[in-house]
Amino acid sequence: MIENVKQINVQELLHEVQSMQYDGCRLITATCIDNNDDTIDLYYHFDKDYEIRNLKLTVPKGSAVPSISRIYLCALLVENEMKELFGLNVENIAIDYGGHMLLSDGAPENPMLRQQITIVKKGEENNA
Amino acid sequence: MPKTVIPFGPQHPVLPEPLHLKLVMQDEKIIEAIPAIGYVHRGLEKLTELKEFTQNVYVVERICGICSCMHAMAYCQGIETLMNLQIPDRARFLRVIWAELHRIHSHLLWMGLLADSFGFESLFMQIWRNREKVMDIMEETAGSRVIISVNTIGGTRRDISKELLLKTKVILEEIREDMKRIEPVFLNDYTVKHRLVGIGTLTKEDAQRHCAVGPMARASGIAMDFRTTGYSAYGELEFEPIVRTDGDCYARTDVRMQEIYQSINLIEEAIGKLPAGEIAVPFKGNPTGEVISRVEQPRGEVLYYLRANGTKNLERMRVRTPTFANIPTLLQMLPGSELADVPVLILTIDPCISCTER
Amino acid sequence: MFDMIGNIFKNLASKPATRQYPTVRRASFKDTRGHIGIDIDNCIFCGICSKKCPSNALTVDRNAKSWEIDPFKCIICNVCEEACPKKCIINYEDYNTSALIKEKRKSVQQPKPPKEEEQSGAAVAGKKAE
Repeated sequence: MIENVKQINVQELLHEVQSMQYDGCRLITATCIDNNDDTIDLYYHFDKDYEIRNLKLTVPKGSAVPSISRIYLCALLVENEMKELFGLNVENIAIDYGGHMLLSDGAPENPMLRQQITIVKKGEENNA
Repeated sequence: MPKTVIPFGPQHPVLPEPLHLKLVMQDEKIIEAIPAIGYVHRGLEKLTELKEFTQNVYVVERICGICSCMHAMAYCQGIETLMNLQIPDRARFLRVIWAELHRIHSHLLWMGLLADSFGFESLFMQIWRNREKVMDIMEETAGSRVIISVNTIGGTRRDISKELLLKTKVILEEIREDMKRIEPVFLNDYTVKHRLVGIGTLTKEDAQRHCAVGPMARASGIAMDFRTTGYSAYGELEFEPIVRTDGDCYARTDVRMQEIYQSINLIEEAIGKLPAGEIAVPFKGNPTGEVISRVEQPRGEVLYYLRANGTKNLERMRVRTPTFANIPTLLQMLPGSELADVPVLILTIDPCISCTER
Repeated sequence: MFDMIGNIFKNLASKPATRQYPTVRRASFKDTRGHIGIDIDNCIFCGICSKKCPSNALTVDRNAKSWEIDPFKCIICNVCEEACPKKCIINYEDYNTSALIKEKRKSVQQPKPPKEEEQSGAAVAGKKAE
């Protein structure tokens, strides 16, 4: 239902993002979605004159994704977030917070991944 | 000259919310700045996966108080697209009225904080006195001062009566007159100009490169206002995005000042065109599919990505708030500026950290 | 340079914008969301309010005929008030005063015999006075 989705693979990512930048697109953000089956959908949303363009990748959990922060510096926050909350190994981020941008030391690892939910719920039930 | 690292924040008199900056200084000049967030991360995106999609309206409103109305509006618009709901015309106009009231109160809040940040306490109080009038309108029409909870899936929860609309118009006229009196203090006063003009300049190219949104982009000469795409009832109202080309703190103040007048005009126009009829449509079933919903908040464009799978719970909700997009511009603006200008400079991006971290 | 002067003179001539709060209070607007109470005698313990509540602040027990609200969880969105089929959840326009201890407010429906009814009526009246 999302318009302008282009399915690409990890190798093409940097090239596609680069060509988006040549087109004068604005990076809105990136979105990770856990598919419940060991893969993560990864969207990069771009905007040109109020028209949204999306790049879609489907990557296995914990896999390496190149950072686009050398092309769009403003991607650094979202890439750090992807790394922390979804456990994607985003390589060469311009400023790497090392997993401590949003989460602190004792926080659960990759809390946005599906498997984690059940664990947290069980803990709550046991406590109660 | 040796380098010194000065930590700025997370607790600082000018910052309403915790934002930490590592400033690498040479004498009084900043040569490098590294922002750090993470003090108010609450995991609200995770929470929305556990709540039902109807309850999520109240969760997304609590992402940020100042723009809560627009958060709920964006979320409801997304769900309505997924469920093919056509909301009544009156609800669309009512949403615009409340959203613009929110914009006025947010900009007035920001102006007060800015006045406070350059030490003009009395101006700060003048501005917030006006803000209080907007808050009273919101309490009277919606039942709460800040988190007004008027949006629901399929329309709005409350209607505004004719008498209240007339009263709103009168109060807005008062605010406009008061702002006209205060405007020259902000825009012409010697000391205020001294603190704002030429500080933190962000050129048009830099704004594009760093993907700035909202008043930040508009102050740098990019005519980007998502309201012009005509979502909700904006398509039937007349307005032009307010654009300044200087890109400094003064231009950003000017943009926000003019946007207050613009919002007052928009509300008056919306009240004039407000159609009669229902305020909400009932709906059945659960949403399925993916959707992206975008609206313009006081601070810029917000993006909602929703993926639903036909159950009561959403599979994923992603929020990209405007401050998330504007923080990287600090990396561009801070190097080269003086330490004394940092508070003003940070405030002019209108940081909303609880939005950013969710 | 003297842009503020006009404002200063206007402020000198006009009334203060603030109130002497604890002694002078502004009356609440109509339908302000203040706090939530219940008319327990009309409650049928269907539990719709507790299912709709976004913050899980309500507990309804059909067997014990009790309705319990955790004011520290309640976000005063008034969804329960709108959802109630008997319209027995009441929105009060005044705000709750701050509490010293975290405690839940529990209302139990008294059995129906006539002499007991007075008591529950008094309980509701007591709630309103809160």
